[in-house]
Amino acid sequence: MANLKELRGRIKSVASIAQITGAMEMVASMKLRKVQTKAQAFAPYTAEIRDMIFRIAAKVAGEEDVPLFQVRDVKTVGVFVISSDRGLCGSYNSNLLSALRKKIDALKAEGKQVKFWVYGRKGYAWLQRRGFDVERFFVEPALDKADFASAKLVAQELVDAFTSGQVDEMCMFTTRFQSMVKFVPTDATFLPIKTIAVGDDAEQQKMELDFLIEPDATTVFNSLMPRYLETVVFDAMLQALTSEHASRRMAMKGATDAAGRMQKDLKKIYNRARQESITKELLDIVGGASAVS
Amino acid sequence: MAEIHLRIVTPDRTIVDRKVASVSFVGTDGEYGVLPRHAPLMTGIAQSGTATIVETDGQSEEMFISDGFAQVQNNVLTLVCEAGELAGEIDLDRVKRKEQEAREKMAGLNKLSQEFLKAEASLRKALARERLARKRAGSGTLS
Repeated sequence: MANLKELRGRIKSVASIAQITGAMEMVASMKLRKVQTKAQAFAPYTAEIRDMIFRIAAKVAGEEDVPLFQVRDVKTVGVFVISSDRGLCGSYNSNLLSALRKKIDALKAEGKQVKFWVYGRKGYAWLQRRGFDVERFFVEPALDKADFASAKLVAQELVDAFTSGQVDEMCMFTTRFQSMVKFVPTDATFLPIKTIAVGDDAEQQKMELDFLIEPDATTVFNSLMPRYLETVVFDAMLQALTSEHASRRMAMKGATDAAGRMQKDLKKIYNRARQESITKELLDIVGGASAVS
Repeated sequence: MAEIHLRIVTPDRTIVDRKVASVSFVGTDGEYGVLPRHAPLMTGIAQSGTATIVETDGQSEEMFISDGFAQVQNNVLTLVCEAGELAGEIDLDRVKRKEQEAREKMAGLNKLSQEFLKAEASLRKALARERLARKRAGSGTLS
Protein backbone atom coordinates (compact mmCIF):
# COMPACT_ATOMS: atom_id res chain seq x y z
CA MET A 1 0.00 0.00 0.00
CA ALA A 2 1.38 3.41 -1.07
CA ASN A 3 0.32 5.15 2.13
CA LEU A 4 2.16 2.66 4.29
CA LYS A 5 5.33 3.02 2.28
CA GLU A 6 5.13 6.78 2.50
CA LEU A 7 4.74 6.60 6.26
CA ARG A 8 7.71 4.29 6.57
CA GLY A 9 9.78 6.81 4.63
CA ARG A 10 8.71 9.65 6.85
CA ILE A 11 9.45 7.76 10.02
CA LYS A 12 12.92 7.03 8.75
CA SER A 13 13.65 10.62 7.77
CA VAL A 14 12.39 11.95 11.09
CA ALA A 15 14.64 9.48 12.87
CA SER A 16 17.67 10.62 10.93
CA ILE A 17 16.84 14.28 11.61
CA ALA A 18 16.68 13.46 15.31
CA GLN A 19 20.07 11.85 15.03
CA ILE A 20 21.59 14.92 13.39
CA THR A 21 20.08 17.42 15.80
CA GLY A 22 21.13 15.17 18.68
CA ALA A 23 24.71 15.25 17.42
CA MET A 24 24.58 19.02 16.99
CA GLU A 25 23.29 19.36 20.52
CA MET A 26 26.24 17.39 21.80
CA VAL A 27 28.72 19.43 19.78
CA ALA A 28 27.16 22.64 21.05
CA SER A 29 27.37 21.57 24.68
CA MET A 30 30.98 20.55 24.23
CA LYS A 31 31.83 23.91 22.70
CA LEU A 32 29.87 25.64 25.42
CA ARG A 33 31.96 23.93 28.05
CA LYS A 34 35.14 24.96 26.24
CA VAL A 35 34.14 28.61 26.06
CA GLN A 36 33.16 28.58 29.69
CA THR A 37 36.57 27.31 30.74
CA LYS A 38 38.15 30.01 28.61
CA ALA A 39 35.97 32.63 30.25
CA GLN A 40 36.86 31.33 33.67
CA ALA A 41 40.58 31.50 32.93
CA PHE A 42 40.13 35.04 31.68
CA ALA A 43 38.11 36.36 34.62
CA PRO A 44 41.06 36.99 37.00
CA TYR A 45 42.82 39.08 34.36
CA THR A 46 39.81 41.33 33.89
CA ALA A 47 39.34 41.59 37.62
CA GLU A 48 42.95 42.66 38.16
CA ILE A 49 42.91 45.23 35.38
CA ARG A 50 39.69 46.75 36.65
CA ASP A 51 40.99 46.77 40.17
CA MET A 52 44.08 48.68 39.05
CA ILE A 53 42.05 51.18 37.08
CA PHE A 54 39.83 51.77 40.03
CA ARG A 55 42.81 52.34 42.28
CA ILE A 56 44.54 54.72 39.95
CA ALA A 57 41.44 56.60 38.80
CA ALA A 58 41.39 58.50 42.09
CA LYS A 59 44.93 59.71 41.39
CA VAL A 60 44.20 61.15 37.97
CA ALA A 61 40.79 62.59 38.77
CA GLY A 62 40.40 66.07 37.39
CA GLU A 63 42.47 65.48 34.28
CA GLU A 64 39.63 65.59 31.83
CA ASP A 65 41.65 65.80 28.65
CA VAL A 66 42.12 62.06 28.29
CA PRO A 67 40.88 61.54 24.73
CA LEU A 68 38.99 58.35 25.47
CA PHE A 69 36.77 60.18 27.95
CA GLN A 70 35.99 63.06 25.64
CA VAL A 71 32.29 63.47 25.10
CA ARG A 72 31.66 64.99 21.68
CA ASP A 73 28.64 66.22 19.85
CA VAL A 74 27.37 62.99 18.36
CA LYS A 75 26.90 63.01 14.60
CA THR A 76 28.08 59.54 13.70
CA VAL A 77 27.58 56.50 15.84
CA GLY A 78 29.66 53.37 15.44
CA VAL A 79 28.07 50.10 16.36
CA PHE A 80 30.06 46.98 17.02
CA VAL A 81 27.83 43.95 16.50
CA ILE A 82 28.65 40.41 17.51
CA SER A 83 26.43 37.81 15.90
CA SER A 84 27.05 34.18 15.02
CA ASP A 85 28.63 32.69 11.92
CA ARG A 86 26.15 29.88 11.63
CA GLY A 87 22.44 29.55 11.99
CA LEU A 88 20.39 26.86 13.73
CA CYS A 89 20.82 28.54 17.08
CA GLY A 90 17.24 29.36 17.91
CA SER A 91 16.32 32.99 18.27
CA TYR A 92 19.87 34.07 19.07
CA ASN A 93 20.45 36.14 15.94
CA SER A 94 16.89 37.26 15.38
CA ASN A 95 16.59 38.61 18.92
CA LEU A 96 19.81 40.52 18.57
CA LEU A 97 19.04 41.86 15.12
CA SER A 98 15.49 42.94 15.85
CA ALA A 99 16.78 44.89 18.85
CA LEU A 100 19.46 46.35 16.60
CA ARG A 101 16.83 47.33 14.05
CA LYS A 102 15.02 49.36 16.69
CA LYS A 103 18.21 51.10 17.69
CA ILE A 104 19.11 51.94 14.10
CA ASP A 105 15.65 53.37 13.49
CA ALA A 106 15.90 55.49 16.62
CA LEU A 107 19.33 56.80 15.66
CA LYS A 108 18.25 57.56 12.10
CA ALA A 109 15.22 59.40 13.43
CA GLU A 110 17.60 61.64 15.36
CA GLY A 111 19.43 62.35 12.14
CA LYS A 112 22.59 60.51 13.10
CA GLN A 113 24.76 58.46 10.83
CA VAL A 114 25.44 54.88 11.77
CA LYS A 115 28.48 52.83 10.87
CA PHE A 116 29.02 49.19 11.65
CA TRP A 117 31.80 46.92 12.76
CA VAL A 118 30.64 43.36 12.64
CA TYR A 119 31.72 40.00 13.99
CA GLY A 120 29.81 37.00 12.67
CA ARG A 121 28.53 36.23 9.20
CA LYS A 122 24.83 36.33 10.09
CA GLY A 123 24.94 39.90 11.27
CA TYR A 124 27.01 40.95 8.29
CA ALA A 125 24.58 39.37 5.80
CA TRP A 126 21.67 41.02 7.57
CA LEU A 127 23.23 44.47 7.42
CA GLN A 128 24.34 44.04 3.84
CA ARG A 129 20.89 43.02 2.72
CA ARG A 130 19.49 46.21 4.18
CA GLY A 131 22.16 48.32 2.58
CA PHE A 132 23.83 49.54 5.76
CA ASP A 133 27.28 50.95 5.85
CA VAL A 134 29.51 48.17 7.18
CA GLU A 135 32.90 49.64 7.93
CA ARG A 136 34.61 46.41 8.75
CA PHE A 137 33.63 42.77 8.87
CA PHE A 138 35.90 40.65 11.03
CA VAL A 139 36.29 37.27 9.40
CA GLU A 140 39.58 35.97 10.67
CA PRO A 141 39.81 34.36 13.09
CA ALA A 142 36.31 32.96 13.47
CA LEU A 143 34.72 33.90 16.77
CA ASP A 144 35.06 30.29 17.87
CA LYS A 145 38.81 30.43 17.60
CA ALA A 146 39.28 34.01 18.67
CA ASP A 147 41.75 34.54 21.47
CA PHE A 148 42.81 37.57 23.43
CA ALA A 149 45.18 38.70 20.68
CA SER A 150 42.33 39.00 18.20
CA ALA A 151 40.21 40.86 20.71
CA LYS A 152 43.13 43.25 21.01
CA LEU A 153 43.07 43.95 17.28
CA VAL A 154 39.34 44.56 17.35
CA ALA A 155 39.64 46.89 20.33
CA GLN A 156 42.44 48.75 18.61
CA GLU A 157 40.34 49.28 15.54
CA LEU A 158 37.35 50.51 17.49
CA VAL A 159 39.49 52.89 19.50
CA ASP A 160 41.15 54.21 16.34
CA ALA A 161 37.79 54.90 14.75
CA PHE A 162 36.84 56.92 17.80
CA THR A 163 40.07 58.85 18.25
CA SER A 164 40.37 59.66 14.56
CA GLY A 165 36.91 61.23 14.66
CA GLN A 166 35.38 58.73 12.26
CA VAL A 167 32.69 58.15 14.84
CA ASP A 168 31.75 60.26 17.85
CA GLU A 169 30.46 57.40 19.88
CA MET A 170 31.03 53.67 19.80
CA CYS A 171 28.46 51.20 20.99
CA MET A 172 28.61 47.49 21.44
CA PHE A 173 25.64 45.46 20.44
CA THR A 174 26.09 41.99 21.77
CA THR A 175 24.33 39.22 23.59
CA ARG A 176 25.08 38.76 27.24
CA PHE A 177 24.85 35.41 28.88
CA GLN A 178 22.65 35.43 31.95
CA SER A 179 21.93 31.80 32.50
CA MET A 180 21.81 28.59 30.51
CA VAL A 181 18.37 29.55 29.25
CA LYS A 182 18.55 33.33 29.20
CA PHE A 183 20.53 35.47 26.78
CA VAL A 184 19.89 39.16 26.54
CA PRO A 185 20.77 41.37 23.59
CA THR A 186 22.53 44.33 25.15
CA ASP A 187 23.50 47.74 23.96
CA ALA A 188 26.44 49.24 25.82
CA THR A 189 28.41 52.38 25.17
CA PHE A 190 32.03 51.46 24.58
CA LEU A 191 33.51 54.88 23.92
CA PRO A 192 33.70 57.52 25.25
CA ILE A 193 34.24 55.80 28.57
CA LYS A 194 31.61 56.91 31.01
CA THR A 195 31.88 54.49 33.85
CA ILE A 196 34.17 51.67 34.66
CA ALA A 197 32.46 48.59 35.86
CA VAL A 198 34.17 47.38 38.98
CA GLY A 199 33.29 44.18 40.70
CA ASP A 200 32.82 43.83 44.39
CA ASP A 201 32.64 47.11 46.26
CA ALA A 202 33.22 45.57 49.66
CA GLU A 203 36.66 44.45 48.65
CA GLN A 204 37.70 47.88 47.49
CA GLN A 205 37.40 49.26 51.01
CA LYS A 206 40.47 47.48 52.25
CA MET A 207 42.73 49.00 49.64
CA GLU A 208 45.62 51.14 50.60
CA LEU A 209 45.03 54.32 48.69
CA ASP A 210 48.40 55.85 49.34
CA PHE A 211 50.88 54.18 47.05
CA LEU A 212 53.82 54.78 44.78
CA ILE A 213 53.23 55.07 41.07
CA GLU A 214 56.07 54.88 38.65
CA PRO A 215 56.72 56.65 36.34
CA ASP A 216 53.58 58.70 37.14
CA ALA A 217 49.84 58.31 37.43
CA THR A 218 48.90 59.72 34.04
CA THR A 219 51.36 57.54 32.12
CA VAL A 220 50.26 54.38 33.87
CA PHE A 221 46.62 55.33 33.52
CA ASN A 222 46.96 56.03 29.82
CA SER A 223 48.59 52.70 29.16
CA LEU A 224 46.12 50.90 31.40
CA MET A 225 43.10 52.28 29.56
CA PRO A 226 43.60 50.40 26.26
CA ARG A 227 44.16 47.21 28.26
CA TYR A 228 40.87 47.78 29.98
CA LEU A 229 39.05 48.25 26.68
CA GLU A 230 40.61 45.05 25.36
CA THR A 231 39.21 43.15 28.29
CA VAL A 232 35.79 44.69 27.63
CA VAL A 233 35.87 43.53 24.01
CA PHE A 234 37.11 40.06 24.82
CA ASP A 235 34.55 39.73 27.57
CA ALA A 236 31.80 40.70 25.12
CA MET A 237 33.09 38.16 22.61
CA LEU A 238 33.17 35.38 25.16
CA GLN A 239 29.72 36.23 26.42
CA ALA A 240 28.30 36.29 22.91
CA LEU A 241 29.93 32.99 22.10
CA THR A 242 28.67 31.37 25.28
CA SER A 243 25.16 32.60 24.51
CA GLU A 244 25.39 31.31 20.96
CA HIS A 245 26.39 27.82 22.00
CA ALA A 246 23.89 27.67 24.84
CA SER A 247 21.18 28.92 22.51
CA ARG A 248 22.09 26.38 19.86
CA ARG A 249 22.14 23.63 22.41
CA MET A 250 18.68 24.59 23.55
CA ALA A 251 17.33 24.83 20.01
CA MET A 252 18.80 21.49 19.08
CA LYS A 253 17.48 19.85 22.22
CA GLY A 254 14.05 21.19 21.33
CA ALA A 255 14.38 19.86 17.79
CA THR A 256 15.50 16.44 18.97
CA ASP A 257 12.62 16.21 21.41
CA ALA A 258 10.13 17.33 18.79
CA ALA A 259 11.50 14.79 16.33
CA GLY A 260 11.10 12.07 18.97
CA ARG A 261 7.49 13.03 19.54
CA MET A 262 6.80 13.18 15.84
CA GLN A 263 8.34 9.79 15.35
CA LYS A 264 6.08 8.34 18.05
CA ASP A 265 2.98 9.89 16.47
CA LEU A 266 3.93 8.69 13.01
CA LYS A 267 4.52 5.17 14.34
CA LYS A 268 1.04 5.18 15.85
CA ILE A 269 -0.50 6.25 12.55
CA TYR A 270 1.60 3.72 10.70
CA ASN A 271 0.55 0.86 12.97
CA ARG A 272 -3.07 1.82 12.73
CA ALA A 273 -2.88 1.94 8.95
CA ARG A 274 -1.11 -1.40 8.87
CA GLN A 275 -3.72 -2.98 11.15
CA GLU A 276 -6.44 -1.53 8.97
CA SER A 277 -4.98 -3.02 5.83
CA ILE A 278 -4.57 -6.41 7.48
CA THR A 279 -8.18 -6.34 8.65
CA LYS A 280 -9.27 -5.39 5.19
CA GLU A 281 -7.29 -8.22 3.64
CA LEU A 282 -8.73 -10.68 6.17
CA LEU A 283 -12.23 -9.49 5.39
CA ASP A 284 -11.50 -9.95 1.72
CA ILE A 285 -10.29 -13.51 2.32
CA VAL A 286 -13.23 -14.35 4.57
CA GLY A 287 -15.63 -12.78 2.08
CA GLY A 288 -13.99 -14.71 -0.79
CA ALA A 289 -14.10 -18.00 1.14
CA SER A 290 -17.76 -17.62 2.06
CA ALA A 291 -18.59 -16.80 -1.57
CA VAL A 292 -16.91 -20.02 -2.74
CA SER A 293 -18.53 -22.33 -0.18
CA MET B 1 60.33 33.61 57.35
CA ALA B 2 58.59 36.58 55.87
CA GLU B 3 56.63 35.85 52.74
CA ILE B 4 54.92 37.81 50.02
CA HIS B 5 51.99 36.53 48.05
CA LEU B 6 52.68 36.49 44.33
CA ARG B 7 50.00 36.35 41.68
CA ILE B 8 50.84 36.30 37.99
CA VAL B 9 47.80 36.63 35.79
CA THR B 10 47.51 36.50 31.99
CA PRO B 11 44.40 36.45 29.81
CA ASP B 12 44.78 32.69 29.34
CA ARG B 13 45.50 31.53 32.84
CA THR B 14 46.77 32.34 36.28
CA ILE B 15 50.37 31.17 36.19
CA VAL B 16 51.42 31.65 39.79
CA ASP B 17 49.32 32.15 42.88
CA ARG B 18 51.31 31.33 46.01
CA LYS B 19 53.59 32.63 48.74
CA VAL B 20 57.22 33.28 47.84
CA ALA B 21 60.27 34.84 49.47
CA SER B 22 60.97 37.58 46.93
CA VAL B 23 60.46 38.54 43.32
CA SER B 24 62.39 40.69 40.93
CA PHE B 25 61.08 41.82 37.59
CA VAL B 26 61.80 44.34 34.88
CA GLY B 27 59.49 47.33 34.97
CA THR B 28 59.15 50.13 32.47
CA ASP B 29 61.74 52.20 34.35
CA GLY B 30 64.15 49.57 35.41
CA GLU B 31 64.39 46.55 37.59
CA TYR B 32 62.33 46.11 40.71
CA GLY B 33 63.08 43.81 43.58
CA VAL B 34 60.06 43.14 45.73
CA LEU B 35 60.55 41.75 49.20
CA PRO B 36 57.87 40.94 51.75
CA ARG B 37 56.09 43.98 53.20
CA HIS B 38 56.97 46.12 50.22
CA ALA B 39 55.30 49.54 50.12
CA PRO B 40 52.16 49.80 47.94
CA LEU B 41 53.24 50.36 44.37
CA MET B 42 51.92 50.44 40.86
CA THR B 43 54.01 50.40 37.71
CA GLY B 44 54.24 49.05 34.19
CA ILE B 45 56.05 45.90 33.11
CA ALA B 46 58.58 46.01 30.27
CA GLN B 47 57.46 44.83 26.87
CA SER B 48 59.68 41.79 26.99
CA GLY B 49 61.06 41.20 30.41
CA THR B 50 61.92 38.53 32.85
CA ALA B 51 60.94 37.90 36.40
CA THR B 52 62.85 35.89 38.95
CA ILE B 53 60.94 34.24 41.71
CA VAL B 54 62.78 33.21 44.83
CA GLU B 55 60.89 30.53 46.69
CA THR B 56 60.76 30.31 50.47
CA ASP B 57 63.24 27.41 50.40
CA GLY B 58 65.81 29.50 48.53
CA GLN B 59 65.25 27.90 45.13
CA SER B 60 64.77 30.38 42.36
CA GLU B 61 62.94 30.20 39.12
CA GLU B 62 63.00 32.49 36.13
CA MET B 63 60.17 33.33 33.85
CA PHE B 64 59.27 35.41 30.85
CA ILE B 65 56.67 38.14 31.24
CA SER B 66 55.61 40.77 28.77
CA ASP B 67 53.59 43.89 28.55
CA GLY B 68 51.58 44.54 31.61
CA PHE B 69 51.31 46.07 35.02
CA ALA B 70 52.49 45.29 38.49
CA GLN B 71 50.97 46.31 41.75
CA VAL B 72 51.75 45.71 45.37
CA GLN B 73 49.15 46.07 48.03
CA ASN B 74 48.58 44.40 51.37
CA ASN B 75 51.68 42.29 50.86
CA VAL B 76 50.37 40.87 47.59
CA LEU B 77 52.34 41.42 44.41
CA THR B 78 50.22 41.10 41.32
CA LEU B 79 51.77 40.94 37.89
CA VAL B 80 49.12 41.34 35.24
CA CYS B 81 50.68 40.66 31.88
CA GLU B 82 49.69 39.80 28.40
CA ALA B 83 51.92 36.78 28.12
CA GLY B 84 54.05 34.83 30.51
CA GLU B 85 55.76 31.49 30.74
CA LEU B 86 57.94 29.78 33.27
CA ALA B 87 61.40 29.13 31.87
CA GLY B 88 60.68 25.40 31.83
CA GLU B 89 57.58 25.87 29.68
CA ILE B 90 59.26 27.67 26.83
CA ASP B 91 59.20 25.77 23.57
CA LEU B 92 62.56 26.52 22.02
CA ASP B 93 61.57 25.38 18.51
CA ARG B 94 58.57 27.64 18.45
CA VAL B 95 60.62 30.56 19.71
CA LYS B 96 63.24 30.00 17.02
CA ARG B 97 60.57 29.94 14.36
CA LYS B 98 59.17 33.21 15.69
CA GLU B 99 62.62 34.73 15.69
CA GLN B 100 63.15 33.70 12.08
CA GLU B 101 59.76 35.09 11.06
CA ALA B 102 60.42 38.41 12.75
CA ARG B 103 63.85 38.75 11.15
CA GLU B 104 62.45 38.03 7.70
CA LYS B 105 59.68 40.56 8.20
CA MET B 106 62.07 43.24 9.37
CA ALA B 107 64.34 42.75 6.37
CA GLY B 108 61.60 43.75 3.96
CA LEU B 109 60.19 46.73 5.83
CA ASN B 110 60.79 50.40 6.16
CA LYS B 111 62.58 51.04 9.44
CA LEU B 112 60.13 53.76 10.45
CA SER B 113 56.92 51.88 9.73
CA GLN B 114 54.55 50.54 12.36
CA GLU B 115 54.99 47.00 11.06
CA PHE B 116 58.72 47.23 11.51
CA LEU B 117 58.30 48.24 15.12
CA LYS B 118 55.87 45.41 15.69
CA ALA B 119 58.21 42.88 14.14
CA GLU B 120 61.05 44.25 16.22
CA ALA B 121 59.00 43.87 19.38
CA SER B 122 58.18 40.28 18.55
CA LEU B 123 61.85 39.62 17.80
CA ARG B 124 62.77 41.01 21.20
CA LYS B 125 60.23 38.78 22.86
CA ALA B 126 61.54 35.76 21.01
CA LEU B 127 65.12 36.56 22.00
CA ALA B 128 64.20 37.09 25.64
CA ARG B 129 62.43 33.74 25.70
CA GLU B 130 65.32 32.04 23.96
CA ARG B 131 67.82 33.40 26.44
CA LEU B 132 65.77 32.12 29.36
CA ALA B 133 65.27 28.69 27.87
CA ARG B 134 68.99 28.34 27.09
CA LYS B 135 70.01 29.51 30.51
CA ARG B 136 67.80 26.92 32.08
CA ALA B 137 69.05 24.18 29.80
CA GLY B 138 72.62 25.23 30.54
CA SER B 139 72.24 25.13 34.30
CA GLY B 140 70.49 21.80 33.93
CA THR B 141 73.55 20.13 32.40
CA LEU B 142 75.89 21.62 35.00
CA SER B 143 74.13 20.37 38.07
